[in-house]
Amino acid sequence: MLNHIWLALIVIGILTAAGRDVYDVTQNSFGNGIPWEVRLEGPDGEVTGAGQGTAVQATLHVSVAQLRAHFSTDAISTDAALPARVTFRDDGSASAQIDVRGTEAERFTVMAEALGGGETLAANLRRAGAGWEMRIDDVSLVYLRKVTNAAFEIAGLAVEIALGLIGIMALWLGVMKVAEEAGLITHLARLVRPITVRLFPDVPAEHPAVGSMIMNISANMLGLGNAATPFGLKAMEELEKLNPKSGVATDAMVTFLALNTSCVTLIPATAIAVRAAAGSSDPAFIIGTSFLASLTATIFAVTIAKLLSRVKMFRFDRAEAN
Amino acid sequence: MDIFRTLVSVISALAIPALMLFFLVYGAFKKVKVYEVAVEGAKEGFQIAVRIIPYLVLMLVSIAIFRASGAMDVFITLVRPVTDFVGIPAEALPMAIMRPLSGSGSLGIMTETMQAYGTDGFIGVLVSTLYGSTETTFYVLAVYFGAVGIRNTRHALPTGLLADFIAFLAAVFFVGLVL
Repeated sequence: MLNHIWLALIVIGILTAAGRDVYDVTQNSFGNGIPWEVRLEGPDGEVTGAGQGTAVQATLHVSVAQLRAHFSTDAISTDAALPARVTFRDDGSASAQIDVRGTEAERFTVMAEALGGGETLAANLRRAGAGWEMRIDDVSLVYLRKVTNAAFEIAGLAVEIALGLIGIMALWLGVMKVAEEAGLITHLARLVRPITVRLFPDVPAEHPAVGSMIMNISANMLGLGNAATPFGLKAMEELEKLNPKSGVATDAMVTFLALNTSCVTLIPATAIAVRAAAGSSDPAFIIGTSFLASLTATIFAVTIAKLLSRVKMFRFDRAEAN
Repeated sequence: MDIFRTLVSVISALAIPALMLFFLVYGAFKKVKVYEVAVEGAKEGFQIAVRIIPYLVLMLVSIAIFRASGAMDVFITLVRPVTDFVGIPAEALPMAIMRPLSGSGSLGIMTETMQAYGTDGFIGVLVSTLYGSTETTFYVLAVYFGAVGIRNTRHALPTGLLADFIAFLAAVFFVGLVL
């Protein structure tokens, strides 16, 4: 199942990107090769270039008609006004660094990114009639490039995430080991025995795995994500010791992860923090709704895990480590 | 409600120091050589972190490709008729789809959605409830199974995704109930 979804994400991603790029090429969605007719407005009115020094900070005005014609769409309904730094050349032409942050014409943002300028779009200007004629480099295969960049970038980031876990893992597994040697984890397991023997029939009631799973789930409930992961990975290691088929997930592992991913949340710390930052009048309002939603999901998750473990294609005795 | 909020902030500030103190002092009380034993345990941390690298790289890359291609917009257009029929607000769909895939992606979507539709209306409360009540299923599976070298994950993914779907429906229901 994971194999198929993993492959599907990649295939759908690349095909969508290719499809969008082909569409953009056939529609000429970025107006490649078509000069723009624009107006430049400086602090002292219309910018014409004559007698205005070497550079000026101006506003670049692009009409709706121009935007529609270049971007092959009728969805645009307002003129665009973008801040631009204009530098004049001796022959009367000019170059502009256009700031595309906050513009409603999103294509400009995409173009700036595709041309490697980040948030500034580079353009060449030439005096034409009462205004200026603007030319921008051709933009094509935007999405395929994006996909490539994202893949390389995230591959590095994944390693950083994993290495970043080392410190917190070492800390908690160290503390955990002390608790284990002191017999605390076994005590904890004995305490919740009535529940765990039903949830995990294949795991001995006082096995260290039970204690670690309890620690993981409690940390998750309190919204302590940083502490939860080390306990959870420790629990997986303990469960793996009971696994007769290395490389194949056991029923206990799947039930544990079902509990973990749907986990009952008492304090959704991150969501509350984001709400507070966004100016909510009652950031903690979602505690109740999160609790009820996650409780419902947890009950269903455990039931689904139990039911699916009996389905032929998922049965443990038929599974191979491939 | 104010007392409750104070309680919440006290618990989250206190939990980790209290736990650490309790474990270590209890260990010392039981005559465990705390430092030596802790170092033994800490060594495992390194191995586990290194072991999950290949799993995490491949999982995150496939999700990144999906995200960067803009396939989600296409996907939303496809599932729209079904979700509209069930009564699920279309504004919350990007969140529901991104949540199991990417933690940072869904955090971004939650912030954007609240900026666009407000924090305390139905949509704002719904997306933050969704973020708060479910986990990044794909990340959790990659990391947890990767740590012990599990390649055949059996019914773990369908279970996780079905649970996410149910969490979404439950969030719509309960948020509708209180607002």
